Amino acid sequence: MRTTTLTDERCHPVDFDDTPDEAAYRARVRAALAEHADELVHLDAGEEAADPREQEQALRRTQRVLAEAGLVGVAWAAEHGGQGGSLAQQAIVGQELARARVPSLINHIGIGMCGPTVIAHGTPEQHERYLARLLRADDVWCQLFSEPASGSDLAALRTTAVRDGEDWVVNGQKVWTTLAHVADFGILLARTDPGRPKHAGLTMFVLDMHAPGVTVRPLRQMGGQSDFNEVFLDDVRIPDGERLGEPGEGWRVALTTLLNERVAVGGGGNDLGLSVEALARLAADRLPGLPADRQVLARQALGRAAVAALANRYTGYRRLTAISQGGLPGPEASAGKLAGTAAAKLVADAGVRLLGDDAVFAVGPGDDDAGRWQRNQAWLPGIAIAGGTDEVLRNIVGERVLGLPPEPREDKHRPFHATGSRA
Amino acid sequence: MNFDLDTDQLDAAAGARQFFDGEAGPARARAALEGGPLAPGRPALAGIGFLGITVPEAAGGAGGSVLDLAVVAEQAGAVLAGPSLVTAARAAVLLADQPDLAAALADGSRAFCVVDGDHPALDAVGADTFLALVDGDLVVGGGDVVTGQPMDATRGLGVVTLTGTRVLVPDAAERWARARDVAVVALAAEDLGTAARAVEVGVGYAREREAFGRAIGSYQAVKHALVDAWVGVEQLRSLVWWAAWAADAAPGELPLAAASAGAFAAETLERAAETCIQVHGGTGFTWEHDAHLYWRRAKVDRLLLGDTAEHQDVVAGLVLAGALS
Ligand SMILES: Cc1cc2nc3c(=O)[nH]c(=O)nc-3n(C[C@H](O)[C@H](O)[C@H](O)COP(=O)(O)OP(=O)(O)OC[C@H]3O[C@@H](n4cnc5c(N)ncnc54)[C@H](O)[C@@H]3O)c2cc1C
Repeated sequence: MRTTTLTDERCHPVDFDDTPDEAAYRARVRAALAEHADELVHLDAGEEAADPREQEQALRRTQRVLAEAGLVGVAWAAEHGGQGGSLAQQAIVGQELARARVPSLINHIGIGMCGPTVIAHGTPEQHERYLARLLRADDVWCQLFSEPASGSDLAALRTTAVRDGEDWVVNGQKVWTTLAHVADFGILLARTDPGRPKHAGLTMFVLDMHAPGVTVRPLRQMGGQSDFNEVFLDDVRIPDGERLGEPGEGWRVALTTLLNERVAVGGGGNDLGLSVEALARLAADRLPGLPADRQVLARQALGRAAVAALANRYTGYRRLTAISQGGLPGPEASAGKLAGTAAAKLVADAGVRLLGDDAVFAVGPGDDDAGRWQRNQAWLPGIAIAGGTDEVLRNIVGERVLGLPPEPREDKHRPFHATGSRA
Repeated sequence: MNFDLDTDQLDAAAGARQFFDGEAGPARARAALEGGPLAPGRPALAGIGFLGITVPEAAGGAGGSVLDLAVVAEQAGAVLAGPSLVTAARAAVLLADQPDLAAALADGSRAFCVVDGDHPALDAVGADTFLALVDGDLVVGGGDVVTGQPMDATRGLGVVTLTGTRVLVPDAAERWARARDVAVVALAAEDLGTAARAVEVGVGYAREREAFGRAIGSYQAVKHALVDAWVGVEQLRSLVWWAAWAADAAPGELPLAAASAGAFAAETLERAAETCIQVHGGTGFTWEHDAHLYWRRAKVDRLLLGDTAEHQDVVAGLVLAGALS
């Protein structure tokens, strides 16, 4: 029974359906994906990600084909090589890529974080040099921020860049650098003035990952895969023309990257691990086979996880609406990542519990589901750390959204070299 | 896609906030515990039109959507208003083809209560017209109400024995189920308002109160607890709006959305209210402070119209039946 007759005169504002324009756009995207199907990498049923280490060339080609079909950088301005489209269109492309089981783009860090930073702070020459190639995955990008002694406290980083003629000479070490093993360029935050307080002495650069003195060593993660790396920088020369923003302005530039990161990771309500739909399929398959008392508990876990995932998804729709109406991604996006991480963990746990006794094996004999849900489970601790730990995000939301008093930050105003963290 | 309130709804929220701030509040909820009257009370709610938001215009209502109602219900929840808009929302669905009774709902000339078997019923205290599902039929009649000492007097809870009923709508199980889902949404909307207010009160105190030479809100144990409560409130808001929208625009989604909102509301309000007390220290444990009034609402509402576990089980059942595919 509907009551819509009562609201006929008023156009109802909330609407999750495509507008006619959006529906037409979606049809075009689908047609393009079908037309190029043979040239794209597709995930097999049950597979959740592609390994760039093994499929680098195929993944680069996939992104290039998509870019040529106008499906990469949809919301980027045309002058930057994008399509000048809307965020809604970008979201449609994301949905259709997932539907077609095309894995996430190899240059997702470039598109989500490095590109927007270059756009916001780069010169016209830098735009020209980098952006179109980035969208085509001619160049893959990585983000060289974290260091062994500074992750959350990013502004305490120690890698130095010293001016030498027309160049800067860089020395130091970066760590946890996702994709560095396949990357051509990275955005690099370095200390250029240790005499100033820690936030004020930083400068951002574009680093050529193939330059002499750059050494990349893969790190193995707890789940066994190697997505991230250590990067050693020994007397690496960066021409001054590769500087992003003014000397000493690096922190402001980095904030652009971090804001975009929090929207890219979870801010839009996207699933951060296996989806609730995947959980629903697993449950339909497995739950009836569990003993009756286990079924009750599994249903409870399924219900709780589904509710959390839906709450996160619909909150993402609200945030996307706000952003597409012209709002900038704000600190609220951090709340999205917090909630998304919590929901992903509930989904993961409900999934693993459905495996029954098989859950004690990393992969049970002849069981694809088990391996998939176990890899998902072993991936999620990283999500609670990458792109701002849960604790750091709570500080951001508490201070920037709720207006709670700040943490004591005793080193904030002292010259960096006087803080005991010598560069 | 567009998922935000429209300007009419934002205006309605602002208007409702002003009305409720003047007519109700935690002090009145406290007084109600000691025998004081409900605030704003039925006549005032009828007067401003809030009992008839979803009643058809032909029957003297505003002919609005469930989302219109949810926006107002949130403001009612913020000040612990009584009687609840849950009853108004639910009765409006049940009385969809009963213009006379619907008109009496909207203008407050009858005091409705919707009864679920022998479970304590919302707004039973002072009610004169009772609606129930008996043998699959929707019936209306009188009732004898037995109450206990209230945990939260604004809810008017009582166990009802129906008297002198007549069948209003035969074979009304489907309508009853929809009305109950709409009621769950309205309850979640009121809980959203209460939870948001509890967090706001907690945040306000954490900014002012000092211990060990610093504002307590600068300590992470306090800050992070408030953040977690606030994040829950914002997530709940999304579920409430989705479910309220679905009630009119996508009825097929209503059961999943309503159960999701109901499950999430109970836990969110409970955490917000408990956090509010904890952040206030000893002050938060006093009768004079408002924190326990939010807490009372939380402890009662979480058991009304199905508890979290029941709602989660409904969600699980729907998901297993393919609701997400
Ligand atoms: C999968 C993955 C991919 C990553 N990819 C990249 C990448 O591509 N590029 C890059 O630059 N970095 C990357 N990182 C690094 C990531 O940004 C850092 O790991 C993160 O910021 C935390 O820094 P840390 O590891 O030094 O931990 P620390 O900062 O030492 O934190 C240790 C613990 O202390 C807590 N803590 C620290 N400060 C506070 C505080 N003020 N209040 C409360 N608690 C606090 C943290 O929450 C954490 O629990 C990646 C990390 C992971 C896990």
